[in-house]
Amino acid sequence: MNKEGYFSDDWLETQRKYWESWTEMSRKAMGLEGGDVTSPWQAALDHWWKAVSPTAPDASKQLMERMMDQGKSLFKMVETFLPGAAGGGDAWGAFSKALDDMQKGFIGSLGGMGEGSNGLHRRLAFWELPYDNWQRMASSLSPLPGDLLRNMPHDAVKEHIDKVLSAPGLGYTREEQGAYQELMRCGLRFQKAFQEYTAFYSQLGIKAIDRLRGHMQELITSGKTIDSARAIYDDWVNCCEAVYAEEVSTPAYAQLHGDLINAQMAFKHRLSVMVDENLGALNMPTRAEIRTLQDRLQEIRRENKRIVRELNALKHAVEGTPARALTQQPAPVRSALTSAVPSAPIKEPVARKKTGAKPTAPTTK
Amino acid sequence: MFPIDIRPDKLVEEMMDYTRKLGQGMENLLNADKIDTGVSPKHAVFQEDKLVLYRYDTPEGVTPRPVPLLVVYALVNRPYMTDIQEDRSTIKGLLKTGQDVYLIDWGYPDGADRALTLDDYLNGYLDRCVDYIREAHGLDAINILGICQGGVFSLMYTSMHQDKVKNLVTMVTPVDFQTPGNLLSTWVQSMDIDLAVDTMGNVPGELLNWTFLSLKPFALAGQKYVNMVDVLEDPEKVKNFLRMEKWIFDSPDQAGETFRQFAKDFYQKNGLINGGVVIGEQEIDLKNITCPVLNVYALQDHLVPPAASQAMKGLTSSKDYTENAFPGGHIGIYVSGKAQKEVTPAIGTWLNERSAV
Repeated sequence: MNKEGYFSDDWLETQRKYWESWTEMSRKAMGLEGGDVTSPWQAALDHWWKAVSPTAPDASKQLMERMMDQGKSLFKMVETFLPGAAGGGDAWGAFSKALDDMQKGFIGSLGGMGEGSNGLHRRLAFWELPYDNWQRMASSLSPLPGDLLRNMPHDAVKEHIDKVLSAPGLGYTREEQGAYQELMRCGLRFQKAFQEYTAFYSQLGIKAIDRLRGHMQELITSGKTIDSARAIYDDWVNCCEAVYAEEVSTPAYAQLHGDLINAQMAFKHRLSVMVDENLGALNMPTRAEIRTLQDRLQEIRRENKRIVRELNALKHAVEGTPARALTQQPAPVRSALTSAVPSAPIKEPVARKKTGAKPTAPTTK
Repeated sequence: MFPIDIRPDKLVEEMMDYTRKLGQGMENLLNADKIDTGVSPKHAVFQEDKLVLYRYDTPEGVTPRPVPLLVVYALVNRPYMTDIQEDRSTIKGLLKTGQDVYLIDWGYPDGADRALTLDDYLNGYLDRCVDYIREAHGLDAINILGICQGGVFSLMYTSMHQDKVKNLVTMVTPVDFQTPGNLLSTWVQSMDIDLAVDTMGNVPGELLNWTFLSLKPFALAGQKYVNMVDVLEDPEKVKNFLRMEKWIFDSPDQAGETFRQFAKDFYQKNGLINGGVVIGEQEIDLKNITCPVLNVYALQDHLVPPAASQAMKGLTSSKDYTENAFPGGHIGIYVSGKAQKEVTPAIGTWLNERSAV
């Protein structure tokens, strides 16, 4: 059997045995049943993780999940290149085809939010990284999931939505209708900005694959070889980072990035205004009122501190002593307001409880 | 010859090895104790609102120099980076050189701190910390070491209160915010900062985390965790990794009004170069700085490119200006073994040569 044959048949069989041994082990240990065998190595890893993760603390769990996700990316990538890696027959042709297929996937995703885009998200967990980061951050800033608008049909219903939004509000609730229309407009602008951001990453993917192809050709010329999955992964990361660094330093990307953040903020701002209006209707304090109070309070504190400083200076001037006492040893602990109140025990700074990231879709497959 | 030559048995072995390390690492992660942050003994000496001023204990056998050193860290991330572990501690290195080290912990701003401005931070909190130390030591002026954004604060503070600063050290401090290759600056140009601050109030640490990860997303959010698997078998390395991981994601929210001014005046308007930065009622002019200045920067810094720091040369009126270029990155300058041997002793020596009372 040639090497290609091995990868076609025996490779899967090897993985299957590997998975079965893990399954057997887990079942004996945890009494669990088997799972999906379409990707045996991943299935085995998932199976094992399901068995042990309930006992892991949150911090460790998140770290392990990241390591597992990236491990899957690593080996999934190698699987993609396996026919080429086998070296039998037209190895370069097989490798190129794998790259072409990946590029087609990215090109397909340029269409927007449809199947192509979802396909991209499924394709490589690795390419999820920028999205994953964005989703986690966006979720933490909003009561809505970070990818709420990601898969919402857009083009198909755009015309209909435009009509709805262009209809003037009427009667007693016309202002409220207008507010909801503006909210929808903001949502659409954010969705559009996110689509463009997504398309940028698809273009980036296409360019990164070209870069990898070029890198491989350089290796051929130099006679060097790659003999581990890890080395392919590292080369792939380097290609992606190099292309990324070039592309994100352009004014065009800065505009794209700015549009995304600005659109998200506008959407969130509009939501806040509407929440405030509802709070006001319930005779409850609104965010805007609280901010006004915060501003005024801070202004008063500034004034107080300035006055205390000036009083101290005057006091020392009257007493004929320097404004600053010159002691030779460090003074004991004190708070900034010792003149006004007895100093309380000093407390260590405490972090606020962070909002849990809550992307709705699994970020890696 | 086709360059990928992976033997099937080797690939299986590699996968097995990865899984085995994950399995063993799980145990080490479960057994990892609480992650300590900050290793050198210190005690709180002053507090105002959420700010705490610490003074580090002088190590046995070391006689502290008469002029104390105040470390001013950035509002972004937490200051324990300077003292992150026993063998990687800028603070420890400074103490060894005889510095009497104080450090400001700005704390974690919440909604009640939203209206804090740069004026409140510089002419309020920072000035009162400096006054406390001056009073405690009976000195007119002390040494200041500003780190990153804290370095920008230190420059502005010194330009407004030169009489209270004897020597100024800045580490990885941006002065020119618009040098080529400054990704953060490029990205901020198209952002509507007012809309962002008006919408969010305080700027969440999560947004900053995302921004920093976005500088190198594939390496920082992906490759790093693959590399991590290699050290999972060593409990001590696991702990070091977790410590660093905690620091990276331990990002305080930023007081909204301070963020507004900092992002607009520095990232968008490049105020230290172009002028126009007004703190309270004073316009910042680095020419007001006359004390000795040591400018330490990192040659592979992806957050503050070397050119951003080098721009300080010639902008102050100091007749004693020194640069120290470290061959490492923005974080490595505090935590790498090389930095412990080179950077901290160099700062200590530079200060000692200029700190006679």
